[in-house]
Amino acid sequence: MIAFEHVGKRYGGRFEALADINFRVERGEMLFLTGHSGAGKSSLLRLVMRLERPSRGRVLVAGHDLDRLHISQVPYYRRQIGVVFQDHQLLLDRDIFANVALPLTIQGVEPADAARRVRAALDKVGLLHRERALPIELSTGEQQRVGIARAVVNKPALLLADEPTGNLDPQLSADIMRLFEDFNRIGTTVLVASHDLALIARLRHRVLKLRDGRLVGDGEAA
Amino acid sequence: MSERQPSAERPRGAQKPQRRASGGGRAWLRHHRAMMSDSALRLVKRPIATLLTMLAIAIALILPAGLWLALDSARLLDAELDESATLTVYFAADVGESRAMDLAAEVGEQPGVAGTRLVTAAEGLADFQQTLGVDDALSQLETNPLPASVVVTPDATAPAEVQALSQQLQALDGVDEVRLDLAWLDRLQQLAALGQRVALALALLFGLGVLLVVGNTIRLAVESRRQEIEVVTLIGATHAFVRRPFLYSGAWYGLGGGALSLIILVLGGNWLASPVAALAESYGAHFALPSLGIGHSAFLLLFSTLLGWLGAWLAVGRHLADIKPR
Repeated sequence: MIAFEHVGKRYGGRFEALADINFRVERGEMLFLTGHSGAGKSSLLRLVMRLERPSRGRVLVAGHDLDRLHISQVPYYRRQIGVVFQDHQLLLDRDIFANVALPLTIQGVEPADAARRVRAALDKVGLLHRERALPIELSTGEQQRVGIARAVVNKPALLLADEPTGNLDPQLSADIMRLFEDFNRIGTTVLVASHDLALIARLRHRVLKLRDGRLVGDGEAA
Repeated sequence: MSERQPSAERPRGAQKPQRRASGGGRAWLRHHRAMMSDSALRLVKRPIATLLTMLAIAIALILPAGLWLALDSARLLDAELDESATLTVYFAADVGESRAMDLAAEVGEQPGVAGTRLVTAAEGLADFQQTLGVDDALSQLETNPLPASVVVTPDATAPAEVQALSQQLQALDGVDEVRLDLAWLDRLQQLAALGQRVALALALLFGLGVLLVVGNTIRLAVESRRQEIEVVTLIGATHAFVRRPFLYSGAWYGLGGGALSLIILVLGGNWLASPVAALAESYGAHFALPSLGIGHSAFLLLFSTLLGWLGAWLAVGRHLADIKPR
C-alpha cells in the first residue's frame, strides 16, 4: 500500500527532515509512527499526502509513484486517502453534517447517496444525534470524532492520522484508537502518527520509530 | 465521460480515482448551481459591503458608457450631415432662365449625381431675402446680382469622391463655380475619430479599474476563507472546485455593478433631459438625449459580468498559489 524507497527530504537545502527512509506497508495493515517532535513524523505524512515531494528516493502509494503523478491528478489521488488532523480542521461555519459531507460534495456524489453515507459515518463515531450542531458546540473529543467521520466517509483505502489524540485525555484517546482499529478490521490501511507511547504499547501493532529523520525501529511495540 | 484505467496490474482501490462514470456532468452542474446561489447568498448577507463594491464598479462603468452615448448622439448628427453634404453649382451670370434649365438637366445626367434641384436667380434672391431679412436693401438693386444655381446631391458621400465630382461639374460649359464645404466635414470626422479613441481608452482604463475593484474584493474573500480552502484542498478538491464560488461572486459583483450603472444612467438621463430639450429649443432644434436600447443595455450587463468574472479569476489564481499547502 505504501512503499518508501531511500526517501530523503531536505528543507531549504540544509535542514534534513528525513534521511534514507525505507519501509513497506501492506494493504490492510495498521501501524503507528512515533518519535519525538521534530523527528520527521509530519514530514513523512506530508510526503504520503503528496503535499510535498521527496528530495531523494521514491514514494509509492496505492500503486502510484507520487513523484510521477501529474499535478492535475493530485486531487483525485488525495480522495483515496482519509486524513485525521490533530486540530480536527473542521469548517466552523457549517454544521456537523455538512463537514462530514465535504469529501462527498467535492467528489460530486448524489445528495441522497451522500446523506446516507454521512449518517453511516456519523453513526459509526456515535454522533448521529448531533448532525445539526455546529463544531463549536461539541467537546474536543466529539470534534475529533467528527474529523474521523469526515476522513472515512468516502471509504478511503488508506487512513492517515497526525497526532489524533494529542489534545485528548487517556480515556478519549483509547476510544479514538479503538475507532481506528474498527476501520482497520474492515480492510482500511491505517497509519497513525503519535507520541503517546503508553497507549501505543498497549495496542500491539507494528510501530515505525523515527529519530532525527532516520528510521530507527520497525516492529511490534516493545 | 471518464474511462476507467485498466486496473489489472494495480491492486484494488488503486484504480485511477476518476469522476464516477455516471453523473459526472450532473454533479458538475449541481455544484455550479449550488455555488451560484451560495455565492449570491454570501453577498446578500453583507449588503452594505456588497453595495459599495457594486457602486464602485458602476461608477467605473458609467464614464465610458456615458461617453459612448454622447458619441452615439454625435453619430446621429453626423448621419443628418451626410444627407446635407451637397454641392452647389453656380452658373455664370449671363446664363438665362431657359439655358439654366437645360444646364441643370445636363448636370443631372452626369455620373455620380443622385439628384438635382434648380434654384433660379429669382428664387435665389427670394431665399436670400428671407434668410437675411434684408428686403429693403435688396429692393434698391436694379438687377438681380445672383446667378442661377443647382443643388446637387452626390451618390457617394466620401469626401474624396465628392471632391472628384465637384471637379467634373466645374468643367461643364456655363458653370461658374462649384462650392462644397469639405473642410468642416473632415474636421468633424476627425473629431469623431478622436472621440472614439478617447472612449476606447477610457473603457480600457475603467475596465481595468473594475478588474482591480473585483480582484481586491475577491482577494479579501479568499483570505477570509483560507482555512476552508486549505481543508478542501487537502481532501481532494480540484482547482476548479475551489475557484468556482469566487468566480460566481465576481460575476455577481459585475452584474450588480452593471445594473447599478444602468439605473444611474437612466436617472441621470432623465435629470438632464428637460434642460437639454430647452437648450435645443432655443436654437430651434429638436434634440433628445440618446438612451441605451435593450440591446446595448444587455451588452453592458454582459460585459460587466464578464469583467467581474475575469477579475475574480485573476485574483483567485494569484492567491490560491499562495495558499497551497505545498
